[in-house]
Amino acid sequence: MTQSGPGNDMVGPLTGLRVLELTGEHAQFCGKLMADLGADVIKIEPPGGQETRNVGPFLNDEEHPERSLYFWHYNTSKRGVTLDITKPEGKEVFRKLSVTAGLILESFPAGYMPGLGLGYEDLSADNSGLIMCSVTPFGQDGPWRDYKTSDLLHLAAGGQMASSGYDVEDVPDAPPIAPGGGNAWHIASHYSYIAIMGALYHRDFTGEGQYIDVSAHEACSLTTEGAIAIYLSTGEVVRRHTGRHASADMSPGIQHATNDGGFINTTRSGSNLTPARVKILATWMDEHGLAQDLLDEKYQNPAVVEESGQHFADVLKNFFANMPLVEAYEGGQELNFPWGAIRTMGEIVGDPHLEDREFFVPVEHPELGREFTYPGPAAIYNSSPWRISRRAPLIGEHNEEILGGELGLSKSGLEALKKSGAI
Amino acid sequence: MQSDHNQIPKRRKDQPLEGVRVVDFTWVRAGPWAARWLATLGAEVIKVEWPENMDMLRQNRFTVPPGVEPGPNSTGQFADTNAGKLGLSVNVRHPKGLEAVKRLISVSDVVIENFSSRIMGRWGLGYEELKKLRPDIVYVSMAGFGQTGRQHYFGTMGPAAQALSGLTHQSGLPGKPPAGWGWSYLDDTGGMYGAMCALTALRHRNHTGQGQHVDLSQMITGITLTGTAFLDKTVNGRESRREGYPPGNRTVWPGAPVINNYRGPIAAPHNAFRTLGGGYNDWCVIACLADEEWTNLVELMGKPDWAKKGKFTSLDGRLENQNEMDQGIEQWTSTLEKYDLAEKCQVAGVRAMPVQSSEDRVENDPQLRHRGMFTKVKHPMLGDWKFQGAPFRLDGNKVAVKGPPPMIGQHTTKIMGDLLGVSSEELVQGYEDGVYWPETTPKFPYVQEAIDAEAKR
Repeated sequence: MTQSGPGNDMVGPLTGLRVLELTGEHAQFCGKLMADLGADVIKIEPPGGQETRNVGPFLNDEEHPERSLYFWHYNTSKRGVTLDITKPEGKEVFRKLSVTAGLILESFPAGYMPGLGLGYEDLSADNSGLIMCSVTPFGQDGPWRDYKTSDLLHLAAGGQMASSGYDVEDVPDAPPIAPGGGNAWHIASHYSYIAIMGALYHRDFTGEGQYIDVSAHEACSLTTEGAIAIYLSTGEVVRRHTGRHASADMSPGIQHATNDGGFINTTRSGSNLTPARVKILATWMDEHGLAQDLLDEKYQNPAVVEESGQHFADVLKNFFANMPLVEAYEGGQELNFPWGAIRTMGEIVGDPHLEDREFFVPVEHPELGREFTYPGPAAIYNSSPWRISRRAPLIGEHNEEILGGELGLSKSGLEALKKSGAI
Repeated sequence: MQSDHNQIPKRRKDQPLEGVRVVDFTWVRAGPWAARWLATLGAEVIKVEWPENMDMLRQNRFTVPPGVEPGPNSTGQFADTNAGKLGLSVNVRHPKGLEAVKRLISVSDVVIENFSSRIMGRWGLGYEELKKLRPDIVYVSMAGFGQTGRQHYFGTMGPAAQALSGLTHQSGLPGKPPAGWGWSYLDDTGGMYGAMCALTALRHRNHTGQGQHVDLSQMITGITLTGTAFLDKTVNGRESRREGYPPGNRTVWPGAPVINNYRGPIAAPHNAFRTLGGGYNDWCVIACLADEEWTNLVELMGKPDWAKKGKFTSLDGRLENQNEMDQGIEQWTSTLEKYDLAEKCQVAGVRAMPVQSSEDRVENDPQLRHRGMFTKVKHPMLGDWKFQGAPFRLDGNKVAVKGPPPMIGQHTTKIMGDLLGVSSEELVQGYEDGVYWPETTPKFPYVQEAIDAEAKR
């Protein structure tokens, strides 16, 4: 049990907010964040299920729409209904549902929802506090508005690739590299979340809803840290380096191999060394007979330390080459050097520090009679928990509960919708 | 659903967070970036600094434009990261400084900090203390490993947090060292989460009257971004240290088993290709997510003989023959300029985008230009300076960079005097006592002028 962890009787900070989510890869992570934080997120899928259910990997590698681990991860804590919003009767149900919602999160191509008569103007007519957030590749206007994209395409256009790759010595002729994991959509989801929270704050004080137009391309373009500032300041374009900041100049390496096949990242060469810290580092290295000349008095001169970055990087490289990864990383941390081991999932799952923070969350899959471990919250809220409340919904799992029970459609009405293929 | 809105008095606002005051103790990138977005949404963000222990970004000599006098108020990277904030210099280790900060917090909504865990507590500014001053305070801590857990005292910067979270290992070519991320992705994203936590807790406060402490971990933030890989491990037992992983820009590395590598759907082609000019960033990416898109691409390339072969018709065939296919595509792409190529592809129903450098995004990207991504704001040292705008538009609110970043301590007398009612006499005395400026640090002209103005009152 975490010392400061919230009690089980507390509810999430977004409790009371109902969200209708009509989005796949673009913004389902935004929906997940809100659902795990207590919002009542209803995922609206086309009958038969959304195409993100076909993205792997799958449970035991068996391809099936209820077995996509990708879908599982991005749709925790949500409830799910199926609804064909292009059919008149489906539209009708959607309109009714939207009156009960505080937020609609959608990622159809620009103009699609208004084309169905389900644009913000239409839906807010009966719900003036409604917030509608459209997350699209490029926003609702502009020359690239209708271009089709993907995670890879956004990381190219957004500048992530221009900053990521290899030093020539490591991989000659390497292409710019797009980091994996689907992060273009994460970035779009984070900014969407911020925009929505801004609009919610505004509504809390004014009662007014509003329409939000999010551009994934702009979100990605904002997410390369100093690359833009360096260009604006100096006119220089950064070059790619192995495992460290792209920079206009050459910089000493910070990613080093350890003697057990691992890699350690030292953030920057020598981690902002001062004479005092050189001494601390060198004393540790000397215990292993690997300090080389770092105990020399000349390194007690700040000017010498300042100009010895490459030398420190070389000595460190040799030091790490003679050490196992965990000893190097934790040893450095104990001496206040903010180094990181490059970990894989096998090294992360079961990490005791993460256990202490109750990061590993058991989630029940009753239809399978099994429980799986999910990644939990990044933050501990001490009076309103961030917590996965349930596994992702099965296809149409809550049709009856939501459309029947909560919206009040009759059994025969639901039956008719099923027959016409609207749910 | 929204009945609780009635409890809150209605008033007009231009910006969504108008009326929110944030005391910003953050430094370097992740924390300041979080508070920067609160400022961009309209909050009054007061950056608390001390010249003897300066924000690292104020010292970033790589972003001082030529011809500008170097100094803590002259760096481009600090400017964008701290746009629209006010600057307060005060020594929290001085009893009078601590008292001043506490008074400020008692009239504020949010406190945000990204020191190593428990530093604030040591200064007497922990959550329990601050709650006494302002019971509904929203207090966001952004330490690398969080405030709890056995390694809470471990430190991180972006690259180390990325390494520890599994993000670094997801990026690169198989059989090579990890390429990782060429910037502090977890400073950018950690900043997003800091802002998200503050906004979420504010929403909770608006609805319940309760404040709270939010204990965010930058490193753990990264793990939540590797969720599919995480589940592949915990559900399927699959390790990410395996043949053909990570697959570079492809979805599956040639010759490796066809397993989803956590970028989205499996597709081919799915790669970066050289374009005309052969320069450092003359690259374009192409991804065909459906057979039809591949057919469109073949058509667009002028149906070269190699591409018409039956082995490329299906996704399985294209995955099996990726090397030959990618070479064929690159022969074509290297005859076209990257923007021209992307446009031709898009018009033909093929997903393609140029690899854009920083220069490209500022100067050459027609979409960003159309949407007004960069706004010029007058900066006291940098002149007319381009700031990055918000990637979203709110049709009922203004969201914009409000102004330049603060010069260090620029607004101290205004905040202490106008907001907290400290008398001119006390202020001048405070400067003499080392409360508002270090006794041994030379004062910038604007600091001296502010003191002189108080002395004359």
